[in-house]
Amino acid sequence: MSNTRTKAQVFDVVKNNILDILPKVQPEMVSIEKSLSDLGANSVDRMEVVTLSMEDLGVKIPLLSFAGVTNIEGLVDVLFNNAQ
Amino acid sequence: MTEKKHSPKSSPCVQITGMGIVSAIGHNIAEFTRSLADGKSGVRRIARSTTPPLAVAIGAEIDGFNFEQMLGQFSDMPESLTQSVQHVTRRAPFTIQTSVISALQAWRQARLDDKPIEPERIGLVIAGHNTTQNYQYSLCSDFQRNPEYLSPRYALQFMDSNQIGVLSEIFNIRGEGFVTGGASASGNVGVIHGARLIQAGLVDACLVVGVVADLSPMEIQGFCTIGAMGGKQFHDQPEKACRPFDALHEGFIYGQASACLVLESGDSANARKAPGLANILGGAINLHATASAQPDIDGETKAMNAALQQSGLAACEIDYLNTHGSSSPLGDKVEIQAIEQVFGDHFPRVRLNATKGLTGHCLYSAGVVEIIATVVQMQQGFIHPNINLENPINATANFCGATAVSQPIHSAMSNSFGFGGINTSIVLQKIPADTDF
Repeated sequence: MSNTRTKAQVFDVVKNNILDILPKVQPEMVSIEKSLSDLGANSVDRMEVVTLSMEDLGVKIPLLSFAGVTNIEGLVDVLFNNAQ
Repeated sequence: MTEKKHSPKSSPCVQITGMGIVSAIGHNIAEFTRSLADGKSGVRRIARSTTPPLAVAIGAEIDGFNFEQMLGQFSDMPESLTQSVQHVTRRAPFTIQTSVISALQAWRQARLDDKPIEPERIGLVIAGHNTTQNYQYSLCSDFQRNPEYLSPRYALQFMDSNQIGVLSEIFNIRGEGFVTGGASASGNVGVIHGARLIQAGLVDACLVVGVVADLSPMEIQGFCTIGAMGGKQFHDQPEKACRPFDALHEGFIYGQASACLVLESGDSANARKAPGLANILGGAINLHATASAQPDIDGETKAMNAALQQSGLAACEIDYLNTHGSSSPLGDKVEIQAIEQVFGDHFPRVRLNATKGLTGHCLYSAGVVEIIATVVQMQQGFIHPNINLENPINATANFCGATAVSQPIHSAMSNSFGFGGINTSIVLQKIPADTDF
């Protein structure tokens, strides 16, 4: 359930979706301080990481909440804070 | 190369230099050709379960399609191209994935990978409309529960034109590109417009992709309710349900195929030393001004005559005709009458078959599928069987029987007719295999 997830688990969910959407990205390339753009994601790819991760975590977050996010850490934080 | 014997307007000769197919009877041209020669039908009971159940659960659906596996068959493809294909296609709907595979087959057969053409001189025609019906239908119940989880990609993917974006990105096509629609005649409409791009000098080559008609239970129900679909009498013998021109035909049987052609000007093909597979000598489209599904003998006759006229051939020079032959009682009857009118004294000699008897009715892509069927029969000198033609509705017509026959084909015609009074016909000519290449 969502309330038992740790931040590391949220990161794993995000990472799996990144790898699924971006076939060029190797697992070791995904680290928390990078941005999705650094990994070659375009705007549709970035939004797809968000929607897929929300679905995997069973949370619904207004897209506006992601407005200030600049890297994977920020994305994980928003998802984690709303998954509690 | 073969001399082109006609040239009414001295427009460039249009050749087919590449073909690809993913169908119920073969996932590539070689398998498809074998199935045609063996009279192997793809029509069977449809296994997928749907909500509500399909009104007619008989069809020739593409079985066992695994995109990653099929992509793996192009093992010598540059890694960068494989990654680009995966990026735009891995999470894409079935209708996109099948288009990409058939297009890759055609592209490579045309040697466009190692003997390239300037990207600005290549066109792209997507033949088929409403190609995302089942994709949308399948997302609908999830969307009603959780609209927040709808993929942003949906905004791209629900449009038929997404095929243009995906295929042009993969192949770096930068000439003219568009979607053509014509119901069950969409394939022929696409091929004719692709050929016109070349004839007008706008491009040197054009990729024409007939898209899989991925129908949801709602479209199947609609076709059933309007009375167009068969499968009732032979509900317990699916393999017998599709029977074009047989006295017991009762409507079309649904089929799936993605089919792709590379069309190219003769000059470009010669310059690249890309072997031509067939010439497209003529292609015509007309309407008989109806909002209905009714066929029309005048419209069909005019389409065949106009294609012949463009080709510069006389009716008696056509050896073989790939009929629209959808297994619709009225459609089959009107078409055979129209053929009889066009061919006159030659009618008993022109060989006829209906590829839909084996592939089912592939709707949007049917025209492209049947041009491919025509070309492979021309290349290999056979006429594929009409496996369920037990009592032909016309005693004079020269239908192929239950097994394939060997016969050289020099010139051929292929018909496609669609709801809304859309009549099309294309004339093809064999290019003998040339050992110079």
